[in-house]
Amino acid sequence: MSVSHSSNSPVFRRLSRRDVLLGMIGAGGAAALASLGYRSLTHSGEIPATAEASVPFFGLHQAGITTPSPASALMVAFKVTPKTRADLTHLFQRLTDRIEFLMAGGTPQAIDPKFPPADSGILGPRVYPDNLTITVALGASLFDQRFGLAHLKPRHLAEMPSFPNDQLDPDLCHGDLMLQFCANTAETNLHALRDILKNLSDALVLSWKIEGFQQPNTLKGEHQTSVRNLLGFKDGTANLNPQDQKRMDQLVWVQAGSEPAWTTGGSYQVVRVVRNLVERWDRTPLQEQEQIIGRKKDTGAVLGYHQESDIPNYDRDRKGQQIPLDAHIRLANPRKSDLGLILRRGFNYSRSFDNAGQLDMGLLFVCFQSNLQTGFITVQERLNGEPLEEYIKPIGGGYFFALPGVPAKGQYLGQALLEAV
Amino acid sequence: MVPKQPGVSKQSRVQPKQQERSLIFSAATLLAFNLSACTTNAPNATNSSNATEASALNKVALTVTDKGCEPNQLSVPAGKTSFEITNQSSQPLEWEILDGVKVVEERENIAPGFVQDLKADLEAGEYDMGCGLRSNPKGKLTVTATGTSASAVITPSQLVAPIAEYKVYVIQEIDQLVIKNQAFTDAVIAGDITKAKDLYAPTRVHWERAEPIAELFSDLDGSMDAREDDFAKKADDPEFTGFHRIEKALFQDNTTEGMKPIAEKLMADTLDLQKRIMELAIEPKNMVGGAAALIEEVAATKVSGEEDRYSRTDLWDFNANVEGSQKIVTLLRPLVEKVNPDLQKRVDTAFAQVNTTLAKYKAPGGGFVEYDQLAKGDRDDLKAVLATLSEDLSQFRGTLGVD
Repeated sequence: MSVSHSSNSPVFRRLSRRDVLLGMIGAGGAAALASLGYRSLTHSGEIPATAEASVPFFGLHQAGITTPSPASALMVAFKVTPKTRADLTHLFQRLTDRIEFLMAGGTPQAIDPKFPPADSGILGPRVYPDNLTITVALGASLFDQRFGLAHLKPRHLAEMPSFPNDQLDPDLCHGDLMLQFCANTAETNLHALRDILKNLSDALVLSWKIEGFQQPNTLKGEHQTSVRNLLGFKDGTANLNPQDQKRMDQLVWVQAGSEPAWTTGGSYQVVRVVRNLVERWDRTPLQEQEQIIGRKKDTGAVLGYHQESDIPNYDRDRKGQQIPLDAHIRLANPRKSDLGLILRRGFNYSRSFDNAGQLDMGLLFVCFQSNLQTGFITVQERLNGEPLEEYIKPIGGGYFFALPGVPAKGQYLGQALLEAV
Repeated sequence: MVPKQPGVSKQSRVQPKQQERSLIFSAATLLAFNLSACTTNAPNATNSSNATEASALNKVALTVTDKGCEPNQLSVPAGKTSFEITNQSSQPLEWEILDGVKVVEERENIAPGFVQDLKADLEAGEYDMGCGLRSNPKGKLTVTATGTSASAVITPSQLVAPIAEYKVYVIQEIDQLVIKNQAFTDAVIAGDITKAKDLYAPTRVHWERAEPIAELFSDLDGSMDAREDDFAKKADDPEFTGFHRIEKALFQDNTTEGMKPIAEKLMADTLDLQKRIMELAIEPKNMVGGAAALIEEVAATKVSGEEDRYSRTDLWDFNANVEGSQKIVTLLRPLVEKVNPDLQKRVDTAFAQVNTTLAKYKAPGGGFVEYDQLAKGDRDDLKAVLATLSEDLSQFRGTLGVD
């Protein structure tokens, strides 16, 4: 999108160039710009203004969970190769160093050109932050016999089971460690991944990876809070508001008490690679598509309502005459209680195509919750058998536990776990 | 020709823009010797944080007038220095750095009123500066030893012996390849499938050990060691010849039919390779870079089990590559230890780890078990250690100052 077009947007009009630069302090502003496809260039003529936006690394919680979700994501699962708790600790210390550097940006060490360069250089001579967040989460397998961590495993953390409609590819599932990269551009995520692989090659082996994106020309305007998925429908409309600190404490962040002490401030992360059978979907009548989802395809409004943001009252439609009882949105969120509420952070993905010549694309579903059972698992059990299943096929993913944040410099990711007895 | 001192570049006098910097060593006769002086700015470790540190390029400006250099005395640290020379004299200028009577570096034909840069890589010592007219007094250039580098500098002459030893190693391996390949191809031609199968992996070992040098001849590398992936028609491509074509016949098709011409060509190619290697001048970068290239090869195609897909003898090749790399590392050890002992230690540890894991897969009758028996956990461990070893070995050229 060109800047002249986006000047029609109310969001854009409020922002002067100075605001753009100042807005980097508040990552939200920058993320909004990123989602507008803002591509103004700085004096160097090379780096977009949004590239200077950064998300703080230090905090009680990790970044990349409630912080605004930018245009590009990269999920990478690893196997860790250390054999001892001490070596594993060293891995997390070094990983913390790299993430802290990459999220803040800076100039890599200049090295005698007879040596390989310290940095891949794909962002240019200076690494700019570009709203990068790297969120570290642990898989259940890390709590096996290798490091003596079994007794410290989060209560609900287990290997993700295969749900009835799943067709899980073992090469696209689980892992000891999950790194979620989010940034304004795919290049920034790839730069960060390459940096981490180069610096931690002795301790990390790739298990699987997948890239995600959000439609660049989807406006997040005042009444359009969500983006479209690859079925063409608005997705994430009824998502929790990540700015609502109180709700986040209730539903996303693990609180002291029912879980091992080290988990406080962390969050269960679910990753699901949900392939959409798009050819077939595109050959399905529009009204049927809308009945399956429960929303109008054009406006995103719930069936029988006007705006995307209108909240359905299912009590007035108990027989499902307006919104079918088995519509996706109604099953996923019956709007009755907090049970099943999760913070979604999804992206679209597109890979290759299958042997039958059909496209492999769909939803890179990511969500966070303080309780896996009352969160994702509850939602998934409600959805099992939904009509949408005819058009979707979960093929990968896993359950992970996103570590608590690093409160201050000198501490490291996973410290409370690794120093627990 | 007498070996010159480090940094002395004969060609730079004649063709300043084409400074060929290579060490040419030919069949025990040292022909020419003008490797650039080694640099000393070795990073401590690949795993060190990317702290901001200035590059080690020093910059010095000086002006030449009709009376000489201003200033007439300079002091710079050892390593790379960029001299910015302003010609304020009335005639074209030739500016030189001299070690006694030898020209170490020079910049010719700087027109009056012009400024030119000269980059020099200098070792600690006292030098003279030529300052225009021969009647002008010579300037004094003092190059001081820098903290980490003073004792760590590797001079090109120190690489001569390791390269000579390495050439002997390569020649011996290729001699063994010739002998083993004769028996192997004889068995193929005789239609003795069992014998040919037995000889396949032990023959290739010698190729794999010497691979950094053997593959320098791209025509022979293509005809002897290409894999079916390298061809448009894959295994059916008539251009697909060499070891892996015969491997496919023996292990997949279980026949030697049609292999006679391919076996004969492989033997002829091997003899050709032997002849060419005898005449080859091994350059420092081929040897020093070869240690890394072998491990890159293992990390990219051996650990994944693509090399010997029909015979599943990948671990033989894997091990031979590692041996070839370790040979180079052993020959270079005294030098690397001098410059960066931590690097040498990490590399030794990594090799030990690789060897320990590989040892689990040794076959009772010699050699290795089939690739498919490599456990996933061990494969992951090998991937990690090979990647780290590749990172560390990629520091060798810089550490030894090899272009």
